[in-house]
Amino acid sequence: MQIRNAQDFWSGVLFAAFGAFFIIFAREYDMGSAARMGPAFFPTMLGGLLVLLGILVGARSLAAGAGDGKISRFHFKPLLLVLGAVIAFGVLLRPGGLLVALAALVGISSLGGDQFRLRDVVLLTILLALLVLAVFIWGLGMTIPVLPAFMQD
Amino acid sequence: MDLINNLTLGFSTALSLSNLLYAFIGALIGTLIGVLPGIGPIATLAMLLPTTYALEPTSALIMLAGIYYGAQYGGSTTAILVNIPGESSSVVTCIDGYQMARRGRAGSALAVSALGSFFAGTVGTLIIATLAGPMVELAFKFGPAEYFSLMVLGLIGAVVLASGSLVKAIAMIVLGLLLGLVGTDVNSGVARYSFDIPELADGIGFVGVAMGVFGFAEIIANLEQKEGERLVFTDKVGKLWPNRQEFFYAIPAVLRGTALGSVLGVLPGGGALLASFASYTLEKKITRNPDPPFGQGNVRGVAAPESANNAGAQTSFIPMLTLGIPPNAVMALMVGAMTIHNIQPGPQVMSSNPSLFWGLIASMWIGNLMLVILNLPLIGIWVQLLKVPYRLLYPAILVFCCIGVYTINNNSFDVSITAAFGLLGYVFYKLRCEPAPLILGFILGPMMEENLRRAMLLSRGDPTVFFTRPLSLTLLVMAAALVVIVALPQISRRREEAFQEVD
Repeated sequence: MQIRNAQDFWSGVLFAAFGAFFIIFAREYDMGSAARMGPAFFPTMLGGLLVLLGILVGARSLAAGAGDGKISRFHFKPLLLVLGAVIAFGVLLRPGGLLVALAALVGISSLGGDQFRLRDVVLLTILLALLVLAVFIWGLGMTIPVLPAFMQD
Repeated sequence: MDLINNLTLGFSTALSLSNLLYAFIGALIGTLIGVLPGIGPIATLAMLLPTTYALEPTSALIMLAGIYYGAQYGGSTTAILVNIPGESSSVVTCIDGYQMARRGRAGSALAVSALGSFFAGTVGTLIIATLAGPMVELAFKFGPAEYFSLMVLGLIGAVVLASGSLVKAIAMIVLGLLLGLVGTDVNSGVARYSFDIPELADGIGFVGVAMGVFGFAEIIANLEQKEGERLVFTDKVGKLWPNRQEFFYAIPAVLRGTALGSVLGVLPGGGALLASFASYTLEKKITRNPDPPFGQGNVRGVAAPESANNAGAQTSFIPMLTLGIPPNAVMALMVGAMTIHNIQPGPQVMSSNPSLFWGLIASMWIGNLMLVILNLPLIGIWVQLLKVPYRLLYPAILVFCCIGVYTINNNSFDVSITAAFGLLGYVFYKLRCEPAPLILGFILGPMMEENLRRAMLLSRGDPTVFFTRPLSLTLLVMAAALVVIVALPQISRRREEAFQEVD
């Protein structure tokens, strides 16, 4: 057996795994009957369908005539830095306030690109901070902590 | 005349000073974000949704509709000037629009696209206003079985036009439906798949899913490529007014595009994308001896798809407003937005909240008008925006996304969920799985389950109810027919060709 279309093969695996996940955890809930469906009924049904579809997609990737589908290289640097920056923003927002979180988000995510110029990043942070303050805090009056927790009254 | 009365009510709502202002702001910032390459209407809407939380529902929807048109129109500008489609429905515009720009006719292409869109928008708005009443009456005949079958038809319709593998698209829908079920089950009160995380008991926020899968994944994918030299036709936009010959060619193309787009927009799964592809193909078929040939800057290749996608964008509001069922991912977002503002989309909106309903419809036309007024004179500013390097753009986009997600529930957990969906979206990108069906399934998941349960309860557990009720049967037969038609070998080959031609 030979994987002819890697994209489709791994898509199939992913779908089947998601389907199995939803079926397995649905077992904790009540199935009910066809007339009175419990919380497990619809998810189990859909999970089963997803497993079948996953197998179908996976099987077709092995067949002769499956199109060429190489998976291009994963670029972990932008992936980790962009998503890491987002998580840092979420984690820092409550204790550190908007300004700290925003600086972290802009700083970390900028490292994900192929060029990093400190001066530009600092200027961008200041510009965005002013814009965000003007639009969301003063303009729309949203309740987001701006300053770090220890500096608030 | 009901139509006149309704439109009068609509215009009196939409023409209030504050609503005019919101429509204007919506169209302006929608264009502003939509012009940026690689950001389509879905990501733009998801990103700007939070700016409407503080408004009252009517104004919020008017502004969101403005953002949608703006983003759509901004995408066309990018397509013509930079040859990068801002969104999938302007892929077709790239082909001839960019070639026109290379021949020094960028201004003319932009004007044709703006005026064609405006005309199509006007027609689309009138169609909505006339069809809304009868559609709502039809909707009241729908029981849970019909709703369920209609959603099946809608979801099948949505995958038929997704490019790439049909089975993968169906699998994405099913995955979306399942993800939509996470959270507390309304019937039993059981928190499904929440793993004792209190935030998950309320379900996964759709804004987070949309932003992660579309916005973040897109950014990471863009960062893979080195920032190359984009050839922007900044100094050579040229005269805005099309010449006589271009007018002569463009007008019939606009009419055809509008007609085709209006019809395709109403279909489940239809909307702007399908409309633009279909009308481009139509123009190529019916034009004899095109000069210049299609693909080398024929004005018809801009006029027809641009009118069609705007007409389709308009009329796709019909199923959303009258039945509460979104025909595509953009409308799924609008449904989500309405729910955030505590409006349950469906046939009751027109009777219970007429000023919102007709105000929104009237504001569609006003929004389209504003786009023409806004875009042609301001084109220079949009062009400048295209010159901003991506390394400065994407951190800014991330900032607005993160603040947007956080402010929905004032909750940091939602930000992490968005990051998780960003990862999933990137994996989908690598595996070539289209994310739009996932979003549609995600919104429809709970609705489908609810209607399935009700239908089965009423029939005492007899699943044949879906086939014995004539309306429901008709809808299911249509869905089955769609699958069969697309699966036929000669059609599927044609379908692949159609998508490839444009790649």
